[in-house]
Amino acid sequence: MLNKTKAAFEIRDYIREDLFPHFMCPGCGHGIAMRALLWAIHDLNIDKDKLAIVSGIGCSGRVGAYIDANTFHTTHGRPLTFATGLKLARPDLQVIVITGDGDCLAIGGNHLIHACRRNLDITCLMLNNETYGMTGGQVSPTTTRDRYTTTTPEGNYEPVFDACELAQGAGAGFVGREITLQTPSLKSLIQQGIAHPGFSFLEVISDCTEVYGRKNDLGESPQMVLSQKSEFRSDSYGMIADEVFQPRNVKTGVLHKSDRPEYAEAYQQRITDRVKK
Amino acid sequence: MTTAAIKPLKKAQKQTQKVQRPRNVLIVGVGGQGVIMVSKVLATLCQKQGFEVKQSEVHGMAKRGGAVFSHVRFGETVYSPTIPEGEADVLLALEWAEGMRWMPYLRQQSGTFIADTQHIVPPFACRNRTRGAQSGYVSETIETVMSHVDNSFAMDAMGIAEQLGVVKAANTVLLGALSTALDFDPEAWKSVISMFVPEKTIETNIRAFDAGRDWALGFDRESELRNLTDTHSLQQEGLAEVKVDRSIVEITEEWCKSCDICVKFCPERCLVLNDKLIVEMAEPERCTGCRMCEWLCPDFAIAVRTPDQISQ
Repeated sequence: MLNKTKAAFEIRDYIREDLFPHFMCPGCGHGIAMRALLWAIHDLNIDKDKLAIVSGIGCSGRVGAYIDANTFHTTHGRPLTFATGLKLARPDLQVIVITGDGDCLAIGGNHLIHACRRNLDITCLMLNNETYGMTGGQVSPTTTRDRYTTTTPEGNYEPVFDACELAQGAGAGFVGREITLQTPSLKSLIQQGIAHPGFSFLEVISDCTEVYGRKNDLGESPQMVLSQKSEFRSDSYGMIADEVFQPRNVKTGVLHKSDRPEYAEAYQQRITDRVKK
Repeated sequence: MTTAAIKPLKKAQKQTQKVQRPRNVLIVGVGGQGVIMVSKVLATLCQKQGFEVKQSEVHGMAKRGGAVFSHVRFGETVYSPTIPEGEADVLLALEWAEGMRWMPYLRQQSGTFIADTQHIVPPFACRNRTRGAQSGYVSETIETVMSHVDNSFAMDAMGIAEQLGVVKAANTVLLGALSTALDFDPEAWKSVISMFVPEKTIETNIRAFDAGRDWALGFDRESELRNLTDTHSLQQEGLAEVKVDRSIVEITEEWCKSCDICVKFCPERCLVLNDKLIVEMAEPERCTGCRMCEWLCPDFAIAVRTPDQISQ
């Protein structure tokens, strides 16, 4: 994918070096996801002045603060809402939302479905680490069954939320999921998501090693990253017997793509029509 | 009784000796190159010319880039479907190393060897993944083969096909070269080729066939061999200057949080955590520059500089 004539990707061109080392725990998957995002931005040749990163609250919300671009740290669960206003006011900006599983699905669940419905040209990157890591590891909508958290001392017995199904059902134009272990694939998925005209919902499987992993005895960070390989399968393996991929058995790759009209464009069209009248 | 029984048998033996022996064509290559298509075309053509044809092939490993070969035998009467060692009249290799592998099957002196000079290096030939390391790929050069086999054609079929704009037609280019070794009418070849290729690509395949045939007809072994010797000596002079260069792994110690991911994921096991639990490059000579550590470091503490980047 890398163009030979273009300069090679150098992460230090895209981060606020004076804030480093970042606050995230050792082995946290958010760092890997952040690298993939910046790599995709580099490969798409997006100007940093035309890039707006909107992030919510939580570990994922802090990711945005380390990126050397126009960043916007918003309230809990509302990064998509702020991003919608931003995109409608400034359609020339490339708006990317970084949010977490709790931020996006629990507190901001309502905002997510309406952002999907409008199909604005926003890329929503949901870093799914299955817990609220920053506040001490409470149960989140994506916590796997029977896993222990501070609020589920007997094990979680709520059904798990499939965020990609939700986004697809609500009308997102592009839906994809990838694990952080496959960094180059993750990069190309983000690249496709940003390039897609319409709302792109990308679920990134990240790891919370210090809080969630420790409580559930999932091993050190290398083991946690490696376990993604057995628990998630690429979409191309579609028909292989499902039992092999237990316990989570979740598909990765591009899951949905549609050509629904993009909202910001339709909105601008509407305004110009009104003015002409 | 016994003598009477033996007599007709002797007669029969004499008769078979008179009958022209079958012609053997061995087609070899790597999965996906079109070995089977080439052998199908040849077998159908021979059948249309009124010969008895027997074809047998092995393509089990084809999907994984493995070796594929096909024996085609044709003549008045053909008994065995496979070609014995040292009896192939034509050995058509779609890949260089496969050609070398099947060399013992070629008939000495009179056999014709046609090969694409394209190299497809199999994974097991790259056991040592360090840059500039010795590869396990066949060491026989075009020059050596051409000086030992009288009727040899080493052609860059891929290059010819690329010039025509269709890389996929490389096997048809080789069919063109093969047609010069067997005396069938070129028009008959073309009509059979158009039976086997998709309708949209018939025209390009015919062009590829002509290009291959023209190349083989205009091939002058002596001058080619002289050229090769010159370029080979030039290359050898250049080889002395090439250095084995390595990737450099830059580690920002202050950013490392000793999560151990890079150490565990390095395929060559060349990183370690030191006394201060900071990552350290222990065996730089084993590093292949695969960037696994760089990609998976959540703290951006590792940057890999490949030799190309360093030279820039």
